[in-house]
Amino acid sequence: MSDMSDLDRQIEQLQRCEVIKESEVKALCAKAREILVEEGNVQAVDAPVTVCGDIHGQFYDLKELFKVGGKVPETNYLFMGDFVDRGFYSVETFLLLLALKVRYPDRITLIRGNHESRQITQVYGFYDECLRKYGSITVWRYCTEIFDYLSLSAIVDGKIFCVHGGLSPSITSLDQIRQIDRKQEVPHDGPMCDLLWSDPEDMQGWGVSPRGAGYLFGSDVVNTFCQENEVDLICRAHQLVMEGYKWHFGEMVLTVWSAPNYCYRCGNVAAILELDENLKRDFTIFEAAPQESRGIPSKKPQPDYFL
Amino acid sequence: MSADPGVIGTNDDASSCKRFAVDKGYWSDPYISLFMQKLPSRKAPEISRGYYARVTSIQIIIEKFLQMTQNNCQIVSFGAGFDTLYWRLFDKGLTPKKFVEVDFEQVTTRKCHFIKSKKQLLDALTCEETDIMISKNELHSAKYHLVCANIANTAQLESKLTASGIDRSLPTLFLSECVLVYVDVEGSNKLLKWISDNFPTALFLNYEQINMTDAFGQVMIENLKARDCVLSGAAACANVNTQMDRFLNNGWSGADCLDMSTVYKCLPQSDLQRIERIEMLDERELLDQLLYHYCLAWAYKDTADLGLHTISIS
Repeated sequence: MSDMSDLDRQIEQLQRCEVIKESEVKALCAKAREILVEEGNVQAVDAPVTVCGDIHGQFYDLKELFKVGGKVPETNYLFMGDFVDRGFYSVETFLLLLALKVRYPDRITLIRGNHESRQITQVYGFYDECLRKYGSITVWRYCTEIFDYLSLSAIVDGKIFCVHGGLSPSITSLDQIRQIDRKQEVPHDGPMCDLLWSDPEDMQGWGVSPRGAGYLFGSDVVNTFCQENEVDLICRAHQLVMEGYKWHFGEMVLTVWSAPNYCYRCGNVAAILELDENLKRDFTIFEAAPQESRGIPSKKPQPDYFL
Repeated sequence: MSADPGVIGTNDDASSCKRFAVDKGYWSDPYISLFMQKLPSRKAPEISRGYYARVTSIQIIIEKFLQMTQNNCQIVSFGAGFDTLYWRLFDKGLTPKKFVEVDFEQVTTRKCHFIKSKKQLLDALTCEETDIMISKNELHSAKYHLVCANIANTAQLESKLTASGIDRSLPTLFLSECVLVYVDVEGSNKLLKWISDNFPTALFLNYEQINMTDAFGQVMIENLKARDCVLSGAAACANVNTQMDRFLNNGWSGADCLDMSTVYKCLPQSDLQRIERIEMLDERELLDQLLYHYCLAWAYKDTADLGLHTISIS
């Protein structure tokens, strides 16, 4: 009981964009690990569910997402990774989502993105942010250990396959994904890496990714995968789309992007995909939180340009 | 353009980004750390790649100009900030007859201080025949001059250039990087007209914003305004044509303009491959979007018939 009220207090605190204590992060991660370790690499999710793309530490925009999409646990959510990096509040963003996961494990699913990685977070901000906000890298260590437990993908009602990046040439079936030992840092290549890094491209077969990891995959690859696994749709995130969502190959692959005005610079809108109990699709578009709702940060962070 | 703290602060930001990229190995600059001594915070890879494209492309055009004139020329750098171009050219034996840097007093004061206190910087200015004269905010040596002036005030600028010994009959390259955009269009037109009226053989090299009318451009205007940098001259940054017309309408005989994503593709391929291996870029779109909103424009007047119209990036 006191555990639950502690957790509720921490959620309230995080919702105000205030970090919780290092010891609380440790305890939260321990509980999250118990829950996540039981989840499959292809986590089964029941509709209705609201599917979200990249968040990237844009805390106030995540609050905007909950405003338009509904709160947890009233709305059932699936987040397709990239919770951290680039935005100014990766710590608060990830810990809030993790705390909600621990509090309402059946009402929110978190799968891993390519930024949930030790290596990538050292380049794109989460590492530096942890160091700045806690004075040590302990919290970064707790969080990156939890990243290793995040599921790699999800399947909604057996029909909609959700993954952060896309397909892999080493994977033809969902069962092959289930066989991956996911409890590790994201490797530089191989099936686990590809799921988190690949992108759809107007082509046939497989191509070299300009990202330096994962592959480009064409429409024929998608057709085969969907037929073989009796999947209707591949839903993924990973790529900035200015309109918030984008269809590829007719309506076989869908990109959902949930970080409005990405990097506080890109001028894009964001989207979430609401699937009802019959898997009927409805998109909600939303914009960045207005400046006045962002409170007054002690030191105003600034997006980068060439000056 | 007034001496806004916001605009002056852009020098620290740019110098810090350059130092970060240099420390990472994007390009070589032994001098930037002498001006920007504080270890910079981490910058995203697209920022370092963008600065690389800027520094490299500007260097390419400047070296072509120096070659064309066999160094018998002058360079005037507006809003130079902590730019190290003079020292980098000196190391290559490529110094022009005059190299004049112009900036706000608050910036030149700091630059004077650093030059005065660093032997490596002073050594490149020393010459047997001419003493170096350093005041609190200005510096004059045989070739290198650092003066404070508001570039929107052509009378003031003219007297400072004269005091630096600028010879209007020599081929002269004017350089501005993210400078004109802070001046209202009337003021920058006046400057461009003054140069074309007074320098019969000149090349103007301008790096700054472009394609500013879309969502990204509008967000940039708002974000920079929030840090007290008002882009008063953004009207000239609408597209390639507005960037070229400002020259063609003010007495220049020819102009060209490329957005930086085009420039990026023209840079030497082997070095591009090298720098793209330094850090993995998670999202290419972020770099493309930035590059598309900056440009390199150049304009010429070629009374001496040097062939300035042949200057290009590739």
